[in-house]
Amino acid sequence: MAVQIVMDHTGDSRHCFNLDDAQALASAERRFKELTGAGFTAAVRNASGEISKAASFDPRAEETLFLPRLVGG
Amino acid sequence: MFKFRMPASARLRIYAVRQLYRKFLSENSREARGLRLMRDWLSPTQRMQFDSSGSFDVIGCDSGKRYRVYSEMVPNVRELDDAGRPTVGFCFIPIGRLVMGDVMLAQKIALETNERGALAVANRFRPGRVNRRSYWSMPGLF
Repeated sequence: MAVQIVMDHTGDSRHCFNLDDAQALASAERRFKELTGAGFTAAVRNASGEISKAASFDPRAEETLFLPRLVGG
Repeated sequence: MFKFRMPASARLRIYAVRQLYRKFLSENSREARGLRLMRDWLSPTQRMQFDSSGSFDVIGCDSGKRYRVYSEMVPNVRELDDAGRPTVGFCFIPIGRLVMGDVMLAQKIALETNERGALAVANRFRPGRVNRRSYWSMPGLF
């Protein structure tokens, strides 16, 4: 089971999907494109805990975190 | 007039139930959810540092410089020198009404994956006194 986590005013919203389900994967990819298109940054982390930016949808990523765009405070 | 006095054992039970309820509420609050997400994405070293001090260190991916992210209202990011003293403060936050844990996590990920981009939007300030009132010190969150 994979999860896309979106930071929001509730703390976060989680969208879980099965990596073997083609329809769920397509929906996850659509969500990825919508969020990154809206200015969110996608970050993934590998098994060792290392975090990297995801420029495109990775169907093997088990956990993707979406952060809103940064601005100067 | 009869004055009812609750036994000590009952008072203790009620106190325990109240504490449990308070803990339950805090764990389901948006602040607690944000802090849980942040702790989950911290490295083991950062998590240990956060749990003991309410802040954690991040190494910038481009410069290799060390920054400290504090659990206080922004501006809460400071660059550290070799001796661990704050030299410059930075203020950058994700847009939207996010809770402190989310803000700190976004700052960490930005510095670790896109340091230049984060500092390009950040406002700089001279680091002053650390804000004593931090989210980390809120009782019942852990």
